[in-house]
Amino acid sequence: MPSLTKIHSFDEVFDSQRLFRQILTVMANPARKVNIKEFADRLHGDNPGMLAVAMTLLDNEVGFCAVGNADLAEEISFLTFAKREEAETADYIFVTDAAFLGDAVKKAKCGTLRDPHKSATIIVRTEGADAGELSLRGPGIKDTVSLGAPQAVISAIEMRDAQNYEYPQGVDFIFISDSGELFSIPRLVRKEAF
Amino acid sequence: MKMNKNYNYAFIDEGSKREIRRTILKAVAIPGYQVPFGSRELPIGRGWGTGGIQITLSLIGPEDVLKVIDQGSDESVNAVNIKKFVGLCTDVKTTVKTGEATIIQTRHRIPETPLRNDQILVLQVPIPEPLRIVEASEEKTKKMHAERDYAPMWLLLYESLIRYGKITIGTEYPLMVEDRYVMNPSPIPKFDNPKLKDSECLYLFGAGREKKIYAIPPHTFAESLAFDDVPFEKESFKGKRCRLCGSEDTYLDELFDSATGERMYQCSDTSYCMEVRGCI
Ligand SMILES: [Zn+2]
Repeated sequence: MPSLTKIHSFDEVFDSQRLFRQILTVMANPARKVNIKEFADRLHGDNPGMLAVAMTLLDNEVGFCAVGNADLAEEISFLTFAKREEAETADYIFVTDAAFLGDAVKKAKCGTLRDPHKSATIIVRTEGADAGELSLRGPGIKDTVSLGAPQAVISAIEMRDAQNYEYPQGVDFIFISDSGELFSIPRLVRKEAF
Repeated sequence: MKMNKNYNYAFIDEGSKREIRRTILKAVAIPGYQVPFGSRELPIGRGWGTGGIQITLSLIGPEDVLKVIDQGSDESVNAVNIKKFVGLCTDVKTTVKTGEATIIQTRHRIPETPLRNDQILVLQVPIPEPLRIVEASEEKTKKMHAERDYAPMWLLLYESLIRYGKITIGTEYPLMVEDRYVMNPSPIPKFDNPKLKDSECLYLFGAGREKKIYAIPPHTFAESLAFDDVPFEKESFKGKRCRLCGSEDTYLDELFDSATGERMYQCSDTSYCMEVRGCI
């Protein structure tokens, strides 16, 4: 695994702090896009944006799963010391290939009515052109917002809806594109019926 | 003030920051729900709002501008000490002007100046549990939240209404968030409760001793509990105005001149009052 020996230049204190604020901004303002390319550029491999998010949020206190991507799993555990787990128990699930998305959403833990925070955050890589528009509503959004979204995003929301979670149970999505665009769709943000 | 290099940046270690950051994100995803976290010991006295400070230290970076207020004042001992402490371990710029701040840490008030989407208000919370006044057991209140069983809370409000003709809760007046969680807005006056609803900014609440963090994101439905036929009422200062700036729409502190027996009023938000007067 030669990529593991490459030296990255992501600053654990200051880059983590700035990237955390970007992640907080997108969680508090669903569907708003920020660009995290400057952080991704400080890491290596095929999914540097995901590694940057992992370095900001993960450590040996949490478990993760990189579905169907052994290289990414290796890199994340090397960089963060987070525990590798099955999708069913992971706190953070990384999906780089849309083919694994359905399985990830089905298996992801959604918390309980008593402890809804014991639920997974699913970080999904998106690529390609927008496949449609999503009209979204929920906390963090003034009235409704329209989001041009690639297929992976549309599928993710449909798959999550199909789970019929009883709120506050649910899973929260963070999407990252190859160009470094980051946005989120937390559990309470729903697709508007047209 | 210069940064003391013997400390970590922002004092707490990176592992603790990460845990608090993860907790904050969960709190934002589940508005009004109290997310537990492993609160840290800080070298400041209890009751100084360690929950709020831990949130601030986990958010803050070199690009931030910090404002700290206590009971509406930037100059209170508490506010000054917190500013000094954060200054010592970060070097961040501080301000008294609400509009200049990116992070505002506060106890007991929300500023009069409307907050923007790029600002975060961090509130210090002594007792996060809104149901504590009707149920002493944490185990039971946790279950009540899980089952959305807020009947005892409603009964308390109803009894207050029957007995006194009005709801007598002064501060910490509970709100219903996104029609799911009853939450405690911390000891702010009822006057500030409406600012939590459909706001532009993000509100984060930190309780250090009770190890809980909760949030109200922008544009979130957060409604003060009330009955259909007896709407929520905030403190009214009708007919009164600030003796210094003349404002008639702010939260006023009452002053009493024992020499003359005269009652006077002035803005509780001192920096707002100074801005209106052009002093800062
Ligand atoms: Zn005034």
